[in-house]
Amino acid sequence: MQGFTQRPARGGVRVSTTGEGRRLDTGTALLEGPVQDGPWSAVVWNDPVNLMSYVVHVLRTLFGYSHPTAHRLMLQVHEEGRATVSRGSREEMESDVQRLHAWGLRATIERIEEDS
Amino acid sequence: MAYEFVRRADDMVMCRLDPQEKAIIAQVAQEVSDLIRADLGMGEEPEAVREAAGSDDPLARLEAEFAVDSPREPRDSAVRRLFPAASEEDPALAEEFRRLGQGDLASGKLSALGVVQRSIDRVGPTAAEIVLDEEAATAWLTGLNDMRLVLADRLSLREDEDLDTLRMLQQIAEDAGIDGDDLERAAGGTPEGADASGGDDGPTAAGPDLVLAVYDLLTWLQESLVRVVAR
Repeated sequence: MQGFTQRPARGGVRVSTTGEGRRLDTGTALLEGPVQDGPWSAVVWNDPVNLMSYVVHVLRTLFGYSHPTAHRLMLQVHEEGRATVSRGSREEMESDVQRLHAWGLRATIERIEEDS
Repeated sequence: MAYEFVRRADDMVMCRLDPQEKAIIAQVAQEVSDLIRADLGMGEEPEAVREAAGSDDPLARLEAEFAVDSPREPRDSAVRRLFPAASEEDPALAEEFRRLGQGDLASGKLSALGVVQRSIDRVGPTAAEIVLDEEAATAWLTGLNDMRLVLADRLSLREDEDLDTLRMLQQIAEDAGIDGDDLERAAGGTPEGADASGGDDGPTAAGPDLVLAVYDLLTWLQESLVRVVAR
């Protein structure tokens, strides 16, 4: 992921106080990742082009995540190379991946392993 | 020089671009649209399919319709990045996903790139202010991203570090008074004397320095637009 450009960005990280969307993060799940159970997941992969701020914006826009949740998932993509951003039925995940592709993020559908 | 995107009092998003920047952005948007259309074979139908579509045989017509509806796998590496496989492990899933969604995905991307071009065309050659409503701002965000993805592919940016490496090489070359094209030739990138033919470099035939400069402009604009829109 690309952090900053040559001409330095001004202004800091803005933390939103607005509510969560359809894939609600609650309690400890805030640390673990998206909680909605389902046999399939949508995975976002790192790439050197997408801006960190843009990825946070996309995750917030598509999934209604709070700024801290979206930021944590973005960092996970950046540092670990990938992150599960949503879970649900295959149809739901196909729709999520389609929307992620529309925003230019590299995303795949995966079946969730039983032991993970 | 371009100014950052700002939010106006009437909630519209605005940025100021000089004529050269407007021309460059509009041109890259056009080239990316052309690349998508050409690579995915949009707007072209094989002769046999067209004949079958006009056939009296309903089965032949149905087959023709199906052939047109089956989007083809991208061949160009940049277009593959814009239309990535939805699964690495399950080719059948990826193929089905492509068949069902690639057409819509392509229309969405072309429509966003069209918005970028039209909002530039609308202000005319002299005026500098690009004014966008929320919908147009979203089109610019995704459009700029797709344009950057294509340029990054031409710049061979594969890993997070590649951009820094490219900048470092550019700086070294600048300090040494060598231009980037010389450096690329020295590295064996382009054979001597092959320049006139354009080689197989495609869009980077413009020279890596120029492509990098355009990439930086689009990155900077996108960063400033995200900052204004994400609030």
